[in-house]
Amino acid sequence: MKNILKITIALVFLIVLSSCWGDKSKPNYQYMPDMYKSVGYETYSENPNYSNGMTTQLPAEGTIARGNVPYEYTDTNEGYETAKLELKNPLEISEANLENGEKMYNIYCLSCHGKSGAGDGVLVEREKFLGVPNYKDRDITEGSIYHVIMHGRNLMGSHASQLTTKERWQVTMYVQQLRTELLK
Amino acid sequence: MSSHYEAPIRRPLIVGDKSYHDITLEVAAPVEGKANKLWWTAFTIALIAFLWGLGAIIYTIGTGIGVWGLNKTVGWAWDITNFVWWVGIGHAGTLISAVLLLFRQKWRMGINRSAEAMTIFSVVQAGLFPVIHMGRVWNAHFVLPIPNQFGTLWTNFNSPLLWDVFAISTYLSVSLVFWWTGLLPDFAMLRDRAVRPFQKKIYSLLSFGWTGRAKDWQRFEEVSLVLAGLATPLVLSVHTIVSFDFATSVIPGWHTTIFPPYFVAGAVFSGFAMVNTLLIIMRKVSNLEAYITKQHIELMNIVIMITGSIVGCAYITELFIAWYSGVEYEQYAFLNRATGPYWWAYLLMMSCNVLSPQFMWFKKLRTSIMFSFFISIVVNIGMWFERFVIIVTSLHRDYLPSSWTMFSPTFVDIGIYVGTIGFFFVLFLLYARTFPVIAQAEVKSILKSSGEAYKRYRDAGGKNPAPTKVVKVSTTTEEVKDTAVQKNDLLGSLGVFDNSTQKADDLKLISGVGPKLEKTLNTIGIYSFDQVSKMTEKEYDLLDSLLESFKGRAKRDDWAGQAKNLKNNG
Repeated sequence: MKNILKITIALVFLIVLSSCWGDKSKPNYQYMPDMYKSVGYETYSENPNYSNGMTTQLPAEGTIARGNVPYEYTDTNEGYETAKLELKNPLEISEANLENGEKMYNIYCLSCHGKSGAGDGVLVEREKFLGVPNYKDRDITEGSIYHVIMHGRNLMGSHASQLTTKERWQVTMYVQQLRTELLK
Repeated sequence: MSSHYEAPIRRPLIVGDKSYHDITLEVAAPVEGKANKLWWTAFTIALIAFLWGLGAIIYTIGTGIGVWGLNKTVGWAWDITNFVWWVGIGHAGTLISAVLLLFRQKWRMGINRSAEAMTIFSVVQAGLFPVIHMGRVWNAHFVLPIPNQFGTLWTNFNSPLLWDVFAISTYLSVSLVFWWTGLLPDFAMLRDRAVRPFQKKIYSLLSFGWTGRAKDWQRFEEVSLVLAGLATPLVLSVHTIVSFDFATSVIPGWHTTIFPPYFVAGAVFSGFAMVNTLLIIMRKVSNLEAYITKQHIELMNIVIMITGSIVGCAYITELFIAWYSGVEYEQYAFLNRATGPYWWAYLLMMSCNVLSPQFMWFKKLRTSIMFSFFISIVVNIGMWFERFVIIVTSLHRDYLPSSWTMFSPTFVDIGIYVGTIGFFFVLFLLYARTFPVIAQAEVKSILKSSGEAYKRYRDAGGKNPAPTKVVKVSTTTEEVKDTAVQKNDLLGSLGVFDNSTQKADDLKLISGVGPKLEKTLNTIGIYSFDQVSKMTEKEYDLLDSLLESFKGRAKRDDWAGQAKNLKNNG
């Protein structure tokens, strides 16, 4: 009888311990996953119903979502030049706009352009790649800054998917402020 | 005992000239003998019903509650009806063993063991329904307040459904302990009688090493009394809590304050009816008519009559209050019961529950075993319909006429109910063959005060303690009269025993036949159970005329019936 008790205790102990040795490279076991898996389509999930296997599909070309204004300057040198001349920042220069612009700049631009915009970001310092210009060396306007964020230029890619229209103008405002600092 | 006074008006609770040993023998007989064909037939039928019900339960859980006849309006119907019905049936057992113990009712001793078994088996059936009627059975453990990883998410203690969990589980466990404690001396008796090692081992385990010392008995009595004291409030509160499932709601027809006592009365009513049904069969098939006497049946019928009348009063009260309240919803609820689409259920409930117990006022009816059996079944049908009527008629027509609907059960609803009945009988039949179905230790304690022989002796002016056997065994050797004609007559109808081809049975196994009498029977030419089992009125008379003493004993002890059993079991 005493042996049976000891064996039982040992077994219980082993079973409890064994829960610590799960396969960490796999998701763990689930008990009755009634509503764990989504019945509806989750945005980034795989989806065999579409030819490209993704739930997220591109909107039909030429459609305009409510609240959005299409950007009309093309991703060409002509488009760049026109934007540089014509495009104006719709936002008022304010503390709040500059503050958020700085926040966004520090997230999306800092690693290449550097904290002051002198083209001395950490990736440049580590020589991952070269050729990031100093803002003061380039003749840029708010229109051209916005255009480049929107479409990208040379080595730089488009940041349109990371930033909303408002954020892009706030970053533009902040870049202009950095340039003024650099030009002093 | 020597200064014992018992009113002569009291009728004996143990009939026949029983000794302590007779009690032991007769209680142990079904356990020690083999099951006969009748038992196997009943068991097979019950098992099939149980398996069918199990299939229906698995189908429900696997497929969903939608396989039942429930709808959006009537979310409770057969499930909770059956639940309350089974819980109600379970109440009689505890009532018999606890409440009657507190009231020192000696007649409970013949029936309490089986009544408690009935309690336990029916609470098991009841316990199924709260689980299987859940939409997600596998999360049933969330009804328990267990610390967990959901930031110790707990239960809400405001729901009577949670109180049900505590009520039913406490009730089952207390009943089980109470029952088992009472079983210890009886298991010990079986252990001490067991011949085969396996049985001996099993009953030694079950009897927990009971040796029956004075100290053990003293504590045993104290424990029984304390448990009876605890079980009594429990039995009242459990069905009260079950009634709260309805009484605390806002549904017209449910929201009443009368439900708690009314449900308890109904539970006792239906429970006693079920005890009656089972014991009337059991006393016959297990040859326990000496312990479950007509008086027991009559007393249970009286309880049925009283509680049935309480239930009747409650019906009238409900109707009066509905009229008196001036609440049109309440009035409509009762109008709908009487004249709505379920009028037949209401009529069945009314006629079964209000009328049938009133027959018990007539002594001729309440002492008739056939009639009691019939009424006990009628009562349980009526009480099933009572729960059905309360639940379904209140739900299917309530505040918004736009949500009025009907309910009809599917075969799964019915299958599960039939399954629980099957399961109940599977358990009860197994119990009847493995457990001492009469609390022999308790019955022995009333033998000298309520045994028939002792009563007769006392009434005749004899002083207590009475002799062990009232019918004196003649000390002279039994002389068989040499009346060859009668002997031939007797053997002619019983069949001649041929020593060369047949084996003589041990006639001493027949209660009432000792070694001396066996010899006497042998000299007549009676050797086998087969011969004895053929005895009828005529043969008894012939035997009487052959015997000097023992006159009338063969018939009184029903030798033929005993021999028939021994023949089948051997």
